[in-house]
Amino acid sequence: MTMPAASYRRPAFRPRRLLQMISLRTRMEVLEWSGTWWFLLTLVVQAVLGPLIGMFVWSAVYPADPYVATYYVALLLVTVMTESFEQFTFSEKIYDGTISHDLLRPQPVIVNTIGTNIAIRTWLTIMGVPVALLTGIAFGISLTWTAILAALPVFVLGATLNFCWIFMLSLTAFWTERVHSIVGFGWTLNSLLGGTIAPLVFLPERLRDIGQILPFYGMLGLPADVVAGRVHGLEPLLTGLGYQAVWITVFSTAAVLLWRAGIRRYTVVGA
Amino acid sequence: MTYRAPIRGSGWKETLSSVFNRQYREVPAVQHASFALAPGEVVGFIGPNGAGKTTTMKILSGLLHATSGQVQVLGYSPWQRRSEFLRQIAFIRGSQPVGGSQELTVLDTLQYQRLLYEVPPAEYRRNLDELTELLDLKELLQRQLRALSLGEKMRAGLALSLLYRPAVMFLDEPTLGLDVTGATTMRRFVAEYAEQTAATVLLTSHYMVDVASLCPRLVLIDKGQVQYDGKLDELAAKLSPYKLLRLTAPNADEERLRRAGEVLEASDGTWVLRVPRDAVARTTAELLTELEVADLSVEEAPLEVVIDRAYREGVG
Repeated sequence: MTMPAASYRRPAFRPRRLLQMISLRTRMEVLEWSGTWWFLLTLVVQAVLGPLIGMFVWSAVYPADPYVATYYVALLLVTVMTESFEQFTFSEKIYDGTISHDLLRPQPVIVNTIGTNIAIRTWLTIMGVPVALLTGIAFGISLTWTAILAALPVFVLGATLNFCWIFMLSLTAFWTERVHSIVGFGWTLNSLLGGTIAPLVFLPERLRDIGQILPFYGMLGLPADVVAGRVHGLEPLLTGLGYQAVWITVFSTAAVLLWRAGIRRYTVVGA
Repeated sequence: MTYRAPIRGSGWKETLSSVFNRQYREVPAVQHASFALAPGEVVGFIGPNGAGKTTTMKILSGLLHATSGQVQVLGYSPWQRRSEFLRQIAFIRGSQPVGGSQELTVLDTLQYQRLLYEVPPAEYRRNLDELTELLDLKELLQRQLRALSLGEKMRAGLALSLLYRPAVMFLDEPTLGLDVTGATTMRRFVAEYAEQTAATVLLTSHYMVDVASLCPRLVLIDKGQVQYDGKLDELAAKLSPYKLLRLTAPNADEERLRRAGEVLEASDGTWVLRVPRDAVARTTAELLTELEVADLSVEEAPLEVVIDRAYREGVG
């Protein structure tokens, strides 16, 4: 099958243009999601529940340790600011065929996925910060600006890592209709080993060592530990950043491979 | 293009067995389909349900990766979905005329489209004015996409797709669900657009009036294979060896008319006769000489009848 030939060509990859498109998409999605604030509120409630329960439990175990409250308030903030929902915003498009619209646009499909992710996180942050502030005031915690600034790089990489992890799992929608179970399992690993059920420092030494290497601590517990002043010195910070970078590389490479294999299987059902 | 579909027998035994030993069947969707379109051509791509029309369009637009064969559109391999390729095509589906954010207004979406396709501002304003006029969009611009009716969505979808002046348009059932006015507007608009911009158009539709009014050339596909590729009137001649003579002759003798051809309709002095194609000229001359004829016209058999025959019996 042949059709008329093109008259012009543009450069294929333009990073600045890509950033512009992500920014534009984010703005659109922020507007789009503004109409569903009540739904976003339920997401915030779900996100804060785990850290709040952890805080109540561990505060009862260590009532005199101020670290527990500081850690969990920071963790609460990190959780609402880095939640990812690609199993809904991306996988569902594969299931109902509406991803075809994205495939026909002259931009990588991931632009829309990232735009949606940032937009939802923006709304969750706006709604989650008051909850964190109230909790912080209630438990009388105090944070230092130096700790917050030191946590910024690990927070940014943690947010990226969380997105890469959930997006990678969501890509399994090309093969199975049970993507929500798969992402749910990933979320359980996050809670268990990321520092929500228990701060990593409270785990037995062997488990703690394994937890620091696995990707989940880098998504949640590490930024919270830095804010809580539990990570002392540059070396552990750089080690944490290094692990995060390695896992981002691993997950994003896996995501690219899954995308390439999955898109060949895509049969555009119902579209 | 083949799909791999899982299969299994019924009952517990087969179900348990399939857990450990999954079986698949290769389902052919499009096979040996070969055709080429010249720039500026408007071609009807028709076939019965499940013939492979939409699958072919999805391959041509880059949505599907063909499992074998070669596809070139505008010099590109569509499945690679290169940005410069996607900027020059539009795939408009009657079943889903507009995608993306449904909360946004039509105007917001058009502006997003401008930035996405990098349409220069002056060109955008010119195109928008033209599309607003042609598609009667003025009342729709401030409304949210989700609140539009199907016909309005189709008009908005056309505007969104044509804002960047695509060189190739794939129209998949563009009049699906539209009322008479909506369908007529769509057909008129596509014809004008193709004429003004010399765009190449591939159109699928189950409504033969769409095909007859827009497409001089027809590609007929069935069971994934091209059955006919040629002019529409030649297909009609091939499949329908008869023409229809419609004449108004109030005083005509019915017996005389029955000798001229098969009488299909008769009412108030107007007759419709089915006459063999090669006898039309002679029969017409004889009737005009022998009868007092007030009006006479020679018509092709309705396209629906021709296409129905092609679907049922093949083109041969």
